[in-house]
Amino acid sequence: MIGLLKSMATTMKHALDGKTFTVEYPEEAPDVSPRFRGIHKFSQERCIWCRQCEKVCPNDTIQIVTDDKRQGEQYNLHVAQCVYCRLCEEVCPVDAILLTENFEFTGDTKHDLVYNKEQLGNVPWYKDIDPLAAREPDRGAWVGEGDGEVDYQ
Amino acid sequence: MATAPVALAEWLGYAAAPLWLELLLDVVVAGIIVTVMLLTSALAGPWAKRKITAMFTDRIAINRVGPFGLGYIVADSVRLLSKELIIPDGADRPAYDVAPAVLPLSALLGFAVVPMGSGLQLADPEIGLAYVFAVSSMASVGMVVGGYASGSKYSLLGSMRSVAESIAYEIPLVVTAASVVLLAGSLRLSDIVAAQQGTLVSLGPIAIPAWYGFLNPFAMALFAVAALAEVGRNPFDLGEAGTELVGGYITEYSGVYFVLFFLGEFLHIFLSGAIVATLFLGGPLGPGPAWLGVVWFGAKIWAFFLFTQWCRSAVPRIRIDQMLQIGWKGLLVLSFANLILTAIIVGVIA
Amino acid sequence: MSQTEEPAEPDEEPPAEAPATGVDYDALEDLLGDDVVRRETHTNAEGFVVRADRVQSALSALKDTCGFDHLSNVSAQEYADRFESIYHLKKYDDPTEEVSVVVPTPRDDPVSQSAEPVFRTADWHEREAYDLVGVQYDDHPDLRRILLPETWQGHPLGRDYNQDKPQIVEFEENVNPLASDHRDEDTMLINIGPHHPATHGVLHLEAVLDGETVEHVEPDIGYLHRCEEQMAQSGTYRHQIMPYPDRWDYGSAGILNEWAYARVAEDLNDIEVPEYAQVMRTMSAELCRIAAHLLALGTFCLDIYGDFTAIFMYAMRDREVVQNILEDLTGQRMMFNYLRLGGVVWDVPEPREEFFETVREFLAELPSRMEEYHDLITENELFQIRTVGTGVLEPETAKQYGVTGPVARASGIDYDLRRDDPYGYYENLDWDVITDDGKDNYSRLLVRMREVEQSARIIEQCVDLLEDWDEDDRTIQANVPRTLNPERDKEAYRAVEGAKGELGIYVRSDGTDKPARFKIRSPCFSNLQALPEMAEGEYVPDLVATLGSLDIILGEVDR
Repeated sequence: MIGLLKSMATTMKHALDGKTFTVEYPEEAPDVSPRFRGIHKFSQERCIWCRQCEKVCPNDTIQIVTDDKRQGEQYNLHVAQCVYCRLCEEVCPVDAILLTENFEFTGDTKHDLVYNKEQLGNVPWYKDIDPLAAREPDRGAWVGEGDGEVDYQ
Repeated sequence: MATAPVALAEWLGYAAAPLWLELLLDVVVAGIIVTVMLLTSALAGPWAKRKITAMFTDRIAINRVGPFGLGYIVADSVRLLSKELIIPDGADRPAYDVAPAVLPLSALLGFAVVPMGSGLQLADPEIGLAYVFAVSSMASVGMVVGGYASGSKYSLLGSMRSVAESIAYEIPLVVTAASVVLLAGSLRLSDIVAAQQGTLVSLGPIAIPAWYGFLNPFAMALFAVAALAEVGRNPFDLGEAGTELVGGYITEYSGVYFVLFFLGEFLHIFLSGAIVATLFLGGPLGPGPAWLGVVWFGAKIWAFFLFTQWCRSAVPRIRIDQMLQIGWKGLLVLSFANLILTAIIVGVIA
Repeated sequence: MSQTEEPAEPDEEPPAEAPATGVDYDALEDLLGDDVVRRETHTNAEGFVVRADRVQSALSALKDTCGFDHLSNVSAQEYADRFESIYHLKKYDDPTEEVSVVVPTPRDDPVSQSAEPVFRTADWHEREAYDLVGVQYDDHPDLRRILLPETWQGHPLGRDYNQDKPQIVEFEENVNPLASDHRDEDTMLINIGPHHPATHGVLHLEAVLDGETVEHVEPDIGYLHRCEEQMAQSGTYRHQIMPYPDRWDYGSAGILNEWAYARVAEDLNDIEVPEYAQVMRTMSAELCRIAAHLLALGTFCLDIYGDFTAIFMYAMRDREVVQNILEDLTGQRMMFNYLRLGGVVWDVPEPREEFFETVREFLAELPSRMEEYHDLITENELFQIRTVGTGVLEPETAKQYGVTGPVARASGIDYDLRRDDPYGYYENLDWDVITDDGKDNYSRLLVRMREVEQSARIIEQCVDLLEDWDEDDRTIQANVPRTLNPERDKEAYRAVEGAKGELGIYVRSDGTDKPARFKIRSPCFSNLQALPEMAEGEYVPDLVATLGSLDIILGEVDR
């Protein structure tokens, strides 16, 4: 009996202390960490069309079309298919593709959620946080300097 | 105490009301009671249940539609009533259709004799308490017929559990109520309420009223537990065990039928609360003038509702065999002991 | 239950020599006699190639005489010229002692003897091998498809399968759930799931009931089969496979799954992980374990208390704190993609003090939160009558079924890969393995709750270490080339202690940068197989509670 009453007393204590752990979104938009992986932003100025992102993407989400002179024509990213793993940002040598912290995007059809390079370029920052700046202190951390030996594949 | 139709007839100037007036006033008062109880259930179901559950679970619940989220009551009603009625092929049609109506009907019939204060009582027969138990136990017929007629195995299991539960806990319920009848000396509900007037004992500035709940808290606890079982609330919600049987006897019901079951369940909770209030908490008695009776009565049945929601958040559901053991071996013995003890005490004192 | 003083086993041997795990393979070869055709060397153990009709005698010799009582994994694969089934055997008492039994079968007649009479766990593993690869097993009690529908044509992981041709399995072709089922006059077949509030995912249980008693229950899995093994086989070792393990056990145990893959891939490619990264891995993995156990606790109580229980929400509230910490560290709240081959991807976020402060705050609040759970759950008498004595799993039965993780530890089996087959930084930290002798649902819950406390101990020690770590020595990733091409025909099976038990991966490389065979040994798969042993003879509510206490995640069961 005592255990039962203790359980009931515990829940009643929670009821009466008035604390909640839920927030009223969207009035109170949560702060996400600087490393949060949201939707991508693409910078055509920086991109060198090396196709590393397309190659590393685990489920072929990025599609790049270049002409015969390796000039970039299209950069399509299927935002709904993407698993937000950030490998494209990790391998990009010039920070042309980033995952912003923005998770507030919607689409009505599947086709709305395939972004071309204009749409990717226009993606807004979440709360105006530039992910590169937010991640700056530790971005270079995973790129090791190596032992000085050349390792040819 | 005069019942409401009689009081109204007198107020209208008829010392002995003719039949047509009596019937008319019966209908009017019944309508008022039914409306009040339906509104209470409608408030409790979509809104209060969620708000109270949210309090226990540290959440902010419904607060978007309307002030304090009260608009959800309208939204929920519209939503539930406009849902498609999906009727399984194997359902036994007349029984399947009648069963949902039995549950709210039995509860509303029970409310006819409960004194709700401020003179709001439809009838006051001499066997009031027996009538209430007789009529509210019709609900188990509704549950078992509904479950069996659905033609689904989950419903069958749920209905078998519910009827076993109802039968098992009916006896402790009635026997405990009988101990109250011994104390009050009458089955008439208004007499029971009247017998609880006055003060039991005064502890300084606080005067403890002569409610049977204070006189015999053990009986009140027994009755509350048996009432929880009758209604089908934690720890006894096996009939409708959501995580085991999907929906129990309600599984195959949708749309209006689901609303009726839902409503019926809440009405039964309030009816049980009303009986607990009448038997143990003095019914509409409370400080202040007599016309505030309805308010106190309402507070007491809402307190019972809150108690059931509290149990829901903290008390696990027990198994069918454990429930039957507790009912037939535990509560039955305790309620008979309570009855005999009360009889002895009443016999000695009176 | 304290950490045993074992010398650290060297497990980075060059693959050409036999791994020095203390197993005398020559003596085993002599014991097995003419069952053995030849020997092979895998990265983790020696393998004995055994004739297809001598499987049972070889396995029972190894089990009964040499003490290899844990059939960890059954990998099946199809080569150009043959099929092969590999039985990976370990010992519960010492999982570093491993031996593999390799059974090749010809391509036109892939029949080998089933191991089911020797190890009960082979029942489902062989069904899966038949289903996905196409190997057939003689003497198997019930060889039918397990993950794919019965009417599926072909074996997806075999070489002849046309991957571009879609197959649509109509609902009508499946067993009609609405048809009358008159098996027996006294019993009733009820289909629990796959749409059910309490099956922890899309699990179908065919329960035959006698009144309210469960006479027979058979789990029917495969509703969440995404062929993760195939997805891994079409991704490169270096980068592309790593996002996927998060999605096996998606109950917040992402980093533990990633570690299983990282461990086997690093062994295959001879990559050494720097010590700082090991501490980071250990800390983040234990945070995941806490989150996963809290989820298990919450959903278990949801099954027992009904839908309005407060305990589920309190567990979610506590889990939110862990997810916030992991979000600060990895960037995501569930699909972390935090480990890389050779280390981790991010260091502790700047400013470091703030992060450590947050973690310490969480750890400081944890004991009072666990106290609250004890008040709400374990001391509640009605909860005790529901869970004590129900879902009993005897240790011998558990070993037969290959049960691992908190389920096994709650039956008294002292098996924890973090201590027995050390990886990461676990052997340098001070923590205990929790076991309990109760064997019932209640003790499984207690084991999980106490493991949360032990994880908190580990995290605290890791945080202390990370704070004081020398600034110049904070390498988070070894220098790993952009593409990795391990040698041809190098095979390895490695396991880690996931949230649910032994999560193991068998990888065979064929010289390219993608695995030729990637077999996932899922702990929930083996644990779920033991459900009939636990639930038959008890009531339906006990079945639901037992299923909850097994804590299966269908993403891992079905992969």
